[in-house]
Amino acid sequence: MSPTGPGIERTVSSYCYQCVAGPDLLTVRIQDGVATEINPNFDAAKIHPAGGKVCVKAFGLVQKAYHPDRVLHPMKRTNPKKGRGEDPGFVRVSWDEALDLVASKLNAARDKGLLDDAGYPRLAASFGGGGTPTAYMGTLPAFLAAWGPVDMSFGSGQGVKCYHSEHLYGELWHRAFTVSPDTPLCEYLVSFGANVEASGGVCGVKRHADARKRGMKRVQIEPHLSITGACSAEWIPIKPKTDAAFLFAMIHVLLHEHPRARLDLAFLKHRTSSPYLIGPDGFFLRDIDSRKPLIFDQRSARAVVFDATDVEPALEGEFDVDGIEVGADDEATIRRACKVSPAFAHLVAFAKDYSPEWAASICDVPAAAIRRVANEFLAHAHVSETIEIEGVTLPYRPVAIALGKTVNNGWGGYECCWARTLLPCLVGALEVPGGTLGTTVRLNRPADNRWSSVTPGPDGFMHYPMNSTAKDEWTGRPSVRSAHRTLVPLVANSAWSQALGPTHLAWMMQAEDFDKFPHATAPEVWLVYRTNPAISFWDTKAVGEAMAKFPFTVCFAFTHDETNHMADVLLPDCTDLEGLQLLRIGGTKYVEQFWDYQGFALRDPAVPPQGEARDFTWISTELAKRTGLLAEYNVAINRGAAGVKLSGSNYDFSLDPAKVHDVESIWDATCRAASAEVTDGSETQGLDWFRQHGFRVKPFSRLQWYLYPKLVETGLRFEQPYQERLFRIGQELKRRLHEQDIHWWDRQLEEYEPLPHWHDLGALWEGALAKHYNVRIEDYPYWLVTARSMQYSWGGNVGIQLIKEVADNVAGHGSVVMNCATGEQLGVADGDLVEVRSALNGTQGRVMLCEGIRPDTLLMIGQFDHWATPYAKDFHAPSMNALMPMLLELTDATGSSADLVKVKVTRLGGAS
Amino acid sequence: MTRWTMVADLERCVGCQTCTAACRHANATSPAVQWRKVLDVEAGSFPNVSRTFVPVGCQHCADPPCVHVCPTTATRQRSDGIVTIDYELCIGCAYCEVACPYQARFLVDAPHFAYGAAMQNEIEREDPARLGVAQKCTFCSDRVDFGLENGLTPGLEPRATPACVNSCIADALHFGDIDDPNSNVSRLLREQKHFRMHNELGTEPSFFYLYAKAGDTESPTATASALPAEQQAEKIRTRGVEPWHQPHWNWKAAGNFLCGGAGTGLFAVTAVAGLDGVSFAVPALIALALVAFGLFLLIFKIGRPLRSIYVLRQPQRSWMSRESWVAAIFLPLAVLAVWSENGALIGIAAVFGLLFLYCQGMILKEAMGIPAWRTPPIVPLIAVTGLTEGAGLFLAMLPLLPELRPVTPAVAAATLVLVAARGLAWLTYSTGLRNAGAPTRTFEVLNAYRPWFLAFGLVIPAIAIMFGFVVTTIPTLLFALGGFSAFAAGWALKFILVTRAGYNQGFALNHTPVRGSGTAGPPVKPGWILP
Repeated sequence: MSPTGPGIERTVSSYCYQCVAGPDLLTVRIQDGVATEINPNFDAAKIHPAGGKVCVKAFGLVQKAYHPDRVLHPMKRTNPKKGRGEDPGFVRVSWDEALDLVASKLNAARDKGLLDDAGYPRLAASFGGGGTPTAYMGTLPAFLAAWGPVDMSFGSGQGVKCYHSEHLYGELWHRAFTVSPDTPLCEYLVSFGANVEASGGVCGVKRHADARKRGMKRVQIEPHLSITGACSAEWIPIKPKTDAAFLFAMIHVLLHEHPRARLDLAFLKHRTSSPYLIGPDGFFLRDIDSRKPLIFDQRSARAVVFDATDVEPALEGEFDVDGIEVGADDEATIRRACKVSPAFAHLVAFAKDYSPEWAASICDVPAAAIRRVANEFLAHAHVSETIEIEGVTLPYRPVAIALGKTVNNGWGGYECCWARTLLPCLVGALEVPGGTLGTTVRLNRPADNRWSSVTPGPDGFMHYPMNSTAKDEWTGRPSVRSAHRTLVPLVANSAWSQALGPTHLAWMMQAEDFDKFPHATAPEVWLVYRTNPAISFWDTKAVGEAMAKFPFTVCFAFTHDETNHMADVLLPDCTDLEGLQLLRIGGTKYVEQFWDYQGFALRDPAVPPQGEARDFTWISTELAKRTGLLAEYNVAINRGAAGVKLSGSNYDFSLDPAKVHDVESIWDATCRAASAEVTDGSETQGLDWFRQHGFRVKPFSRLQWYLYPKLVETGLRFEQPYQERLFRIGQELKRRLHEQDIHWWDRQLEEYEPLPHWHDLGALWEGALAKHYNVRIEDYPYWLVTARSMQYSWGGNVGIQLIKEVADNVAGHGSVVMNCATGEQLGVADGDLVEVRSALNGTQGRVMLCEGIRPDTLLMIGQFDHWATPYAKDFHAPSMNALMPMLLELTDATGSSADLVKVKVTRLGGAS
Repeated sequence: MTRWTMVADLERCVGCQTCTAACRHANATSPAVQWRKVLDVEAGSFPNVSRTFVPVGCQHCADPPCVHVCPTTATRQRSDGIVTIDYELCIGCAYCEVACPYQARFLVDAPHFAYGAAMQNEIEREDPARLGVAQKCTFCSDRVDFGLENGLTPGLEPRATPACVNSCIADALHFGDIDDPNSNVSRLLREQKHFRMHNELGTEPSFFYLYAKAGDTESPTATASALPAEQQAEKIRTRGVEPWHQPHWNWKAAGNFLCGGAGTGLFAVTAVAGLDGVSFAVPALIALALVAFGLFLLIFKIGRPLRSIYVLRQPQRSWMSRESWVAAIFLPLAVLAVWSENGALIGIAAVFGLLFLYCQGMILKEAMGIPAWRTPPIVPLIAVTGLTEGAGLFLAMLPLLPELRPVTPAVAAATLVLVAARGLAWLTYSTGLRNAGAPTRTFEVLNAYRPWFLAFGLVIPAIAIMFGFVVTTIPTLLFALGGFSAFAAGWALKFILVTRAGYNQGFALNHTPVRGSGTAGPPVKPGWILP
């Protein structure tokens, strides 16, 4: 850090990765040693997709640093009883005492074995914010890597609060942990509740604003008029959770109301599995010898293997073909002169009854509107046109479909994600310029860019690291408490997978054992950072009660929030402006982060740590030292656990494993390795250089935004439209579970359909709630939904005054948003106090009447219900989290649910 | 010449408030003091609803009402169009705040911090000079000036550009010199359709809103010159957008209008009565006390009372300054006149009293930010009610001051005429307001008062005074009753006008914007009843 003192004014470079739409770059103005202003980093204007800017959340960081309610000293709990009603009795202790206490618990656990008697890790850790805490936790990942098995499956919002099904299916189909339009080129975007203007970060906002000025038409289909709906050319207020019907009707229009020639037939024939022949049992009909899927070649009028050259695959028709079907557990059935049709023909038949007229009453949207959107989608697809990207000619298909939360997770998520991926395929708009793109990978490996994860898999598709369902490979005994490998083949087993398993199962099983499953023990030590599941999960009351039973919880704490309330030790880490870290930036990241550069940015401490807050790297090193894991920890850092591998072919800045390294030494080595990585070893400047310049990048080819060129290069196809692999896996999983006499996952197993049929999700929800809580669902006539807030989402900033102040300028924050007509019907006026109650629980809030919401829908923006967090506990803002039941009936096959519930409203009082 | 101009692209803006936060940082304003903010405006009815995000703040008008009204010259306009405030001259009278039709000005009386006690960053940036004075967006003039001094182009170079523009993540805000035809803002305004908010008020803001590309179509109603007559003010979410009551001119400010009006009216009536040889000392002194008390209340209302003398600095333009000058002449002159019992002097003093009364009317009329005040018929209404209150008060004093009784019939007759004249002035005012349009709530307040005004301002005074002429047994009491009723109705009228009906202009859009494709929507003016 540069010198500080009276009269000295300087600027420090940093980054903001408070939300998944980052990271973005910023500078901090320091006056007399005090941080006073956040500014964009205009030095990065040319390399950052949003001109070096940061969103409103970053401006809360100054108040975060100086927040009067910060935990500024290590604290120890003195009241052994835990719970919402218990005063933790936190008392100040020294760092030595706090770390010794934590280390003693860790060492005791380790001495007993890394796994407990149930086979679960004794150490658990929860980090919120879609992985963003790693941008602030310094070398803690190296400590966790050194430790060994850690249970990361206690969720903080996953499942209902994330794009869960999209993560899994997106990665399967096109390396899309999240999905984005190619906004800079897109011409027509159909958005089902994707709230990019609120949750797309600066890159999303900038790219979409530019697109609007270019004339891109976005049709926003959602129950309430969100920020994004407001900024769209058209708002279609669809009934909640009926999006699949709208999407299926679009498929119907394209397949049944237009000539085939309007579709991108070449794309369908050669880049998808559309021509693959389907056998009577629903599996691909394969060549008997090679077991490769067969297609029917119209030129030779015979079936050939899918990768035969110089063929003209048939998309439709019925053919007599010899072949073999391979079902679950490799069970093969030879077919002779079997009448079969291509997958595309099955799709056409599948879509026949899903007309706009059929969808109209389900979605409460006029058939004409659905048909018009489908027709406009087709009209803007520019089928057969091309565009040149960096000298390479690629298809130009400027149409895309985006899905938002509650559409792309929970029941229906499969249908919607499938339809969203299929529709672009029909016009050749998947992973091509202007079309629907994946952003990044988290389940596939390696994760450095999407191209490198594309390797050949079975049947001409990309490889996917499924959790095996084969009889002798299936993980029958869960490795972590969410049982992700046991129950969800699609979630894979990367570092991210645990947190994407059915994380609510981890919480649910703390209260009740699941039949034939090992008893879910509590973790002996639970580490918590940048997350507050006590208010952010579903059924927060149950989650709070579960965590209160954990024997030893360590929270890296900013303030005394609801989860920290249950902690045994609070450790004050440096906040965003105080800590030191180097972060990988650029390439393609979540949401709309598509860069033309990649490299690294430094989070340089702008101000000294307040109180006794300590840099996370220092804390991690101390933990490693005190648990006897120093060497393993240093080796993990050397291996790249802190973000950069410290050695390469022509450089080596590895740390001596035997030594304790101070924070700056660790990051200096990291900076040197990063410099070397960016310059192919020609330059090796360290921390000082980064402090001066803030970031360092090299070009990233825009071609890598698109997967299509890589698929062409590797001769692979998108796994659309027919989900034969999932169909087989579902059958195998069913066998495995039934072999263990486990039947409580049966409803989920039904989701493994090769073509996902429409389901009445409203009825499913209502039935589950009525059955489980023994209520008359007619008494709960409204759908309660939520929406993200740019000001708050992921930020953990609910206690920041500036954020509250500016969020209040955006309508709906802190309110129960209700249609005026509904208000009139209920005798509720604007500002009235109401209770909104589900079958599980209730919440109170003030009503905001407006016209931009369906009369059958209520909206609560963000997540509140704080009862301990300083400042926020006085908001009295409603929150739906406590109203959301954790039910297996509402859990889909990917392990997620959707963020909505049926509720009733009772007026409690007039406007204040 | 140079005229710095802000251009907000409504098609781009997403209402994220990053500019709001950046402005709070750059200018170190107190919590809730948002020189720049973005409105969230909903219009229409389900399912045909629009939602528009509208950056607002000081519009740096070419003809700024705040500059016109400022009594101290604290608010000025630079040659480049930027409207500035000299914190050392401002007395915190808040006249500029009621004059601004854009609700752009703030007045903070006491230190206010995010969490009660000041944090380090707040201590570092605290500026006591801003307490008790008006403050608002400066277009970050310090950055503009820094840029110009260092050869940087404001609007293009971040260091020379307002913080809100720098921070805008949608590139919705642009800043530049509109007098330069090649500037960024000139180009944008040439290429895109735009409007200025409340342009019908003639303020010529330096703040333009882009709402459509040149080739975009507009809905038929959007091209109409007038705003639609019916707005669904009651039915749509309009908090923060529809007019709210001005917070600054409270009962103390109203006290000046009450006491000053009645006092000068009483003095004038007394002066006329004095022509008939009646001793005028007591009522005249009461009148002077009233005027002085009204001014005294103001001292305790303004943010910087120790600088109150600065109110005299701007008689060229400001009616508040003029009122102060007139008061400075009227009060000593009137005291001298009463002391000397000089009829000519008292007549001259009465003329100054009437000038004071006229100034009060003009003060309200020049408050362009308050539709209920700025309508021209406010001037005769204030003047005639002041005289009516004076006459009424004169009659009301009759039971206690028998020496005034010789002129009673004449004053009673005059009061009757004044009551009628005031009724006419009220009618003219009300009609004028309806014709001009005003906030819905202003009409609600005035309509609620109307029967009381009719009863106590017209019917009771008229009947009581007329009966006073007829019923000879208790004429004094009847005259006093009628007079007091007329006086009280006038005070109530002004009190309500200032402290209850003083809703500000609110915000309005001439067009809701195109969003990528489609048509620009119709105008929106929430919370208004339009002509």
